[in-house]
Amino acid sequence: MKIKVKKTFHSLTGKLILSIGILMIVGSAVFWYFLIYYEEREFIRNSEKYGHSLADVVRKSMRYGMLTSQPHPIKQAVEAIGSAEDVLGIRVFDCKGRVAYSSNKDEKGLVLDAAKSFCMNQYPRRAEIKEAPSYSDRQDKNGFKALNMLTPIYNEPACYTSSCHVHRKGDTILGIIESDISLSVMDKTTREHKIAMTIFVSGFIFAISVVLCKILWNTVSVPISILAKGMEEVSAGNLNYTVKIDTKDELGELAASFNAMTGDIRKAKNELVEWGSTLEKKVQEKTEAIRKAQAQLVHSEKLASLGRMAAGVAHEINSPLTGIVTFAHLLQKKFDAGTQEREDIDVIIDQANRCSNIIKGLLGFARASAADKTAVNINDILNSSLNIVRNKADFFNVKMVINYEEKLHYVKADTSQLQQVFLNMIMNAADAMDGKGTITITTKNTTENGRDFIEIEFRDTGSGITDKNLEKIFEPFFTTKPVGKGTGLGLAVSHGIIQEHGGNIFVKTKPGKGTSFFIKLPANKEVL
Amino acid sequence: MSKGNILIIDDEDIVRISCKRALMPEGFEVKTAQNGIEGLKMIEEERFDIVLTDLKMPDIDGIEVLRLIKQRWADTVVIIITGYQTVDSAVKAIKLGAYDYIEKPFTPDGIVNVVHRALEDRKK
Repeated sequence: MKIKVKKTFHSLTGKLILSIGILMIVGSAVFWYFLIYYEEREFIRNSEKYGHSLADVVRKSMRYGMLTSQPHPIKQAVEAIGSAEDVLGIRVFDCKGRVAYSSNKDEKGLVLDAAKSFCMNQYPRRAEIKEAPSYSDRQDKNGFKALNMLTPIYNEPACYTSSCHVHRKGDTILGIIESDISLSVMDKTTREHKIAMTIFVSGFIFAISVVLCKILWNTVSVPISILAKGMEEVSAGNLNYTVKIDTKDELGELAASFNAMTGDIRKAKNELVEWGSTLEKKVQEKTEAIRKAQAQLVHSEKLASLGRMAAGVAHEINSPLTGIVTFAHLLQKKFDAGTQEREDIDVIIDQANRCSNIIKGLLGFARASAADKTAVNINDILNSSLNIVRNKADFFNVKMVINYEEKLHYVKADTSQLQQVFLNMIMNAADAMDGKGTITITTKNTTENGRDFIEIEFRDTGSGITDKNLEKIFEPFFTTKPVGKGTGLGLAVSHGIIQEHGGNIFVKTKPGKGTSFFIKLPANKEVL
Repeated sequence: MSKGNILIIDDEDIVRISCKRALMPEGFEVKTAQNGIEGLKMIEEERFDIVLTDLKMPDIDGIEVLRLIKQRWADTVVIIITGYQTVDSAVKAIKLGAYDYIEKPFTPDGIVNVVHRALEDRKK
């Protein structure tokens, strides 16, 4: 991905470059200034030396002429020297400030106040005069610097003892030599130095700036932009973004830490998302489990109270029923078969038996909540149940298919209660097929949510159960059998018993094709 | 000479009458008591071959009657009649020496068969 680096002076690199640049320029300017300053000083010193030696030459050339009081050789010497290259003019003043000799012929007799006062007042002491020549910053016609120097001519014994007696012994200064010298050569060199120095310093600043910029760009700006881009991406939610900085410096470490942090956030976010998505499912599962447990509890409580009631009712009803049955039987014996009375009594006996069956069914609820559980083999209980029904007339035309798992897990259960349930299943299957068809009984080991169960299937080839009826089949007193044939308690009691055993009973049916009842019971693997 | 002396203990009138009507034609001497205490008093006074007692009665229950009879008259056959049978009571009764359990409602033939069987077993 192309990284866009910020290029304004507000950026970190901009600020760094700006401040370093300013520092460099200031530093270079100071350096440059002092260099120029010393150059200038040297220049002045050199030019003074030059001026002194020139003045000395003039003085020495004049000496003989002055001692012999001959103006002509002096004039010749002054003019000769004045005509030399770089010498702009030579003037010799007497102490009245009047030009005695000059390289420029027109100036003779000119009075210069500066020279006069210089001579009379300003230079009383010899030493100071020598050390302090007058320098003025003039320029020649080419624009180069020029030196204007006033050099005194001191009195000496040869002067005041000469035959002309022009000068007295008490005079200190006899006159002034003013020399105007063009410093073009030196000035030219100095100017060239300055230009060279300026170019050098500028070039140096430029080169340093370029190198510095390049270094800052590569080591700071680019990595920081990459990091900034990374943070932007991460804050926008792209947690898969990794920052690619492979350097071993602090920024490299920062990038590595940043990547580690992003990784952690990604992991945490994933966990959170996963947690969030599964939370709903978990809540649903728990709610379902609680609902089931509550339903189970309510059902158990219902069963128990129904059982208690049934026990009471059974006790109360069974005594009068005993009377009805006993006396009906006694009466039955008094009438021959085929008489109207005998038939009537048979009806009484049948109906009394029906009542008795209902009571027995109700008692199933009482028994469902009082189980005596031992480790049992379901296959054995199924076999004993089959033995009971096998010889019944209802089963003459029913084909029994047995499909047992040989190594079936044991189950902790009440044998007689399970037998009651299995008998009920088999009888219902036979009824559903009107006594003709096939009942297939299958057992197998299964696992659900990591727990072991055994599953028993009773499959018939009967009429099936309609959706409307399917909702009600486990309700007490619900029956589709003709009045007097079923009590509507068999499945309700079976359901109660299986639930009491921690199991589950459910149905799969296809109207017209047949029905399968499944019973699931928790396996007891401790017993082998 | 009667086939056997039988006592019926039950708080329900109809059950007592039913038993009596079922057993008397078979040649048994049948007496009845309304509750456990009355029954036990009668046993004190007279020897019975078979006692048919209800399990649930107002004063003392059938199990207690069974226990007391078996303590003193071990050869008397006790048959329990019950309105509803539970595994607990059945096990208890058999352990205490009850011969059999008859569930209400019973038929005359049913009760006669049990009594006959009990007497035959007793002779052995």
